[in-house]
Parts: sequence; C-alpha cells; structure tokens
Amino acid sequence: MKVFSEIGSYFLLMYRVFSRPEKSRIYWRQLLLEIEKLGIHSLGIVAIISVFMGGIITLQLTYNMSSPLMPTYLVGLGNRDTLILEFSCTVLSLMLAGKVGSNIASEIGSMRVTEQIDSLELMGVNSAAFLILPKIIAVVFISPILFILSVFCGIIGGLIAGPISGVVTVATYMGGIRTMFVPFFVTFSIIKTLVFGFLIATVPAYQGYNVQGGALEVGRASTRSVVNTSILILLFDLILTQLLFK
Amino acid sequence: MIEIRNIKKSFEERPILKDISTLFEKGKTNLIIGQSGSGKTVLLKSIVRLIEVDEGEILFDGRDIRKMNFKDIKLLRQEMGMVFQGGALFDSLNVEENVRFPMDMFTTMSTAEKNKHVDFCLDRVNIKGAHKLYPSEISGGMRKRVAIARAIALNPKYLFCDEPNSGLDPVTSILIDNLIKEITLEFDITTLINTHDMNSVMEIGDNILFISEGEKGWVGNSTQVLFTRNKKLNEFVFASPLSKRIRDLKQREDDE
Repeated sequence: MKVFSEIGSYFLLMYRVFSRPEKSRIYWRQLLLEIEKLGIHSLGIVAIISVFMGGIITLQLTYNMSSPLMPTYLVGLGNRDTLILEFSCTVLSLMLAGKVGSNIASEIGSMRVTEQIDSLELMGVNSAAFLILPKIIAVVFISPILFILSVFCGIIGGLIAGPISGVVTVATYMGGIRTMFVPFFVTFSIIKTLVFGFLIATVPAYQGYNVQGGALEVGRASTRSVVNTSILILLFDLILTQLLFK
Repeated sequence: MIEIRNIKKSFEERPILKDISTLFEKGKTNLIIGQSGSGKTVLLKSIVRLIEVDEGEILFDGRDIRKMNFKDIKLLRQEMGMVFQGGALFDSLNVEENVRFPMDMFTTMSTAEKNKHVDFCLDRVNIKGAHKLYPSEISGGMRKRVAIARAIALNPKYLFCDEPNSGLDPVTSILIDNLIKEITLEFDITTLINTHDMNSVMEIGDNILFISEGEKGWVGNSTQVLFTRNKKLNEFVFASPLSKRIRDLKQREDDE
C-alpha cells in the first residue's frame, strides 16, 4: 500500500510542478543556473568516464573475439554500438543518478529541513514549481548533449587504447566505426536519455521535497533517491527497448 | 486582526492542539508562549496553513484561510511575512538578493526602485555594509534581522515570528524584540510571536496566549502575567530563581 501512496504523492507533486509559473523571468534565470550546476559541471566526469570506458570496451572486444573468422574492424563497430545503445545512455544515466540525483535530493531536502521551502510557500510562491521545474528542464535538456559527448569521447577512448595496445590499427578501427551505422540507434538512445533525464530530476526531487526531520533524513533521502532512480532507469530501459525495437 | 476558533490538531491520534480559540489584535505584538512541545509552533504553522488543522476556523480579517483554494491562499500569503526559527534565508542568495526576492516575484517595481526598497528594509533592521554577504557569512542575530527585513519587504498585513530569539544572546534578543515591536506599530500590522523567552514576554507582550499541553491555558498581557494565579503559567514564568526574585522584589515594592 505504501508504494501506491508514494506513487500517488509523486504524481500530485508533479501536478504542482507543472502548474503555471509566477514569474517566467525568475524561472528562466533559475533554469540557466541549473543547467550550469547540473549539466555543465557534469561534462568533465562524463568525458573522463566515457574515454576510459571506450578504451576498455575496445580492449575487451579484441581479447574476446579471438576467432580468425571475425574481422578486426568489428572492434570499432562493437564499441560504437555498445556506446550508443547502452553505455552512453543507460550506464551514464545510472552514473548521473548518483551525481546529479543525490545533489538534487540533498539540496531540496536541506531546504526543507531548514524551513526554506516553508518560507517560499509563506511568500505565496509555488515552491514545488520554483525549485523542481528548472531542474527537470535542465536535466532533460542537458542529457542528450551529455549522451552525444559520451559517445564521441568513448570512440576517442577506443581510438587511443586500441592502436596503443597494438590490438587494432587506427584505419581498421575507424573503418569499423563507419560500418553498418543505423541512425535509428541514436534516435532510440536519445529518447531513452530524455526519459532517464526526467527520472533523474524528478525522483530525487520528490525524495528531497518530502524529507521530514534533520540532516540524517536528508542523507537517507539522498541514498533512497539514488537507489530508486537507478531501479527505475533499468525498468524503463527494459520497457523502452521492448517498445521501440518491436 | 486574526481570529482562531476551536482549532484542533492531532498527529497519529495524538492530540497536539485541543480546541483553541483566541483573537490576535492588529497593531499589537501578540505572543504565544508555552513550554517546548506545548504546541506553539504547530499552532503558528496551522494559522498560516503550513499545517492543516483537523477542525476549526482561522479568520484573517474575516477571511477563513481553511475555506480558500490554492490560488486564494497564495494571494493571502502575499500579505504575510514570516520570520522562521533559523531565519530560513536562501543559502544561494546574498543578503540583498534575499530581501529583494519577494519583490522580484510579486512586484513590477523597476530595479532602481527595488534597490531603494532593499536599502530601506535593511536600514530599518540596522544592517549596513552586509548587502553582498551570504547567509553563511553572517551571525545568527544578523540572519534574524535579514529575515525580518525580507518579511517586511512587501509591507505585510500580518507578521509571524517563530522563536525570533532562539540561539541569541540577551542583548541581541532585546534588539530583535524592540525591532519587531517598532515595526508592528510603524506598519500597524498584526504580529504573532512564538516564544518561550521571558524577556520578550515582559518587553513586548501586548497580548499573551499561554498554551499548556495543547490547551489554551491563559490570556493576558505582560503586566498581568506577573501576578497570575494560574499554576501552570506561574511554573512556566517563574521557572528560574532570578525571575522568582524579581517577582518577590516587585511585590515588596508594590506593598510598600
């Protein structure tokens, strides 16, 4: 029963979040701040992780494709499709659920326990919309950009690791990258990142907004938000894969 | 003027407010006093509808906040200012931006007008040269004063203060009390202060409501509170040896 109650509360909060803003100009300023805080500040970590993962995928593919019947250009192709289909959308979203999600939950949770949210409400501001809507738009807007950056960095990672370790030449690797490219894979993954972005922003925001107590509960809400968001990302990954590839 | 009628509130079958009715007058500092856990904060937050009561009426100049929809509550709340226990200043905004925030949200004032009004509000609470500081960079007393400045930024009709003196030294407490009193008189607003500070009671208690275990225990003013025969109120007011000595001295003085 508690699960249904939580789902109900989540949708009621979303109803408040998507109501008409008091003053669009203030929201616009908030949005730019959130894009910087949640998106721009994630560029570095996304790039680093993607470069390493691209390199690791390349090496793993090479070492596990020991058959002489398999052409080595498949390493580039495999790396590209792994990055596009799963790593740069799903795995990266799981990572962002940790970084961005815990940030959102702890920020809103701290505002709740220090009565800053009550203070907004007392002024007549729709606190849910004011605090959460710019975060949702920022994360949903920045997610596809991070996805594209991640794919690009992952391919670069493979391009560095493959030739350096001598398992594949630059020409063969790049040949694989250009082989049998399916544009729909990119569309599919961007749809996924948009959905995951929405989850990354809203689930932690819900957890933070409903914190009751003190610092300990803020920490718990932050942990809970990461766990719940991760599970939901995997669940929606399954659903979207089934729906979009059918 | 704010009137509450037969307010009842329970949390998980545990009654916190038991049928409280009273009147908070305009242009006066109305104090809600009582021990910690007596239900003061619940009452204050219930009045502004941050907490939903189970029963009763809460009338703001005749308008029942409990019967209002979300939109009307938002409009009514623009007539309110509140000073929270910890100040509740926005961490990401500096002092100036905190005070300007309600104006940004709800007025069409120009930037110059807003800046002028921010200066007026901060001057009013005696804050100078701290416009660009963040809440984490100022003292507890200053935070309270900035919170008061923000609360009066939109010239409210109702001012609510939840333990404005908590965590402050006696000298700063008196400054805050006097400031609230002056603002109440200057702007002719209905002020409700939640406190268990006896200095506040004696200094600015125009109208005092004593709550004991969720019940209305006593109503009076700062003069009457010293000579009440209400046992629970006496235990609360004269809890410290110092206050007992003051009462005895005053009684002796009056007898002479």
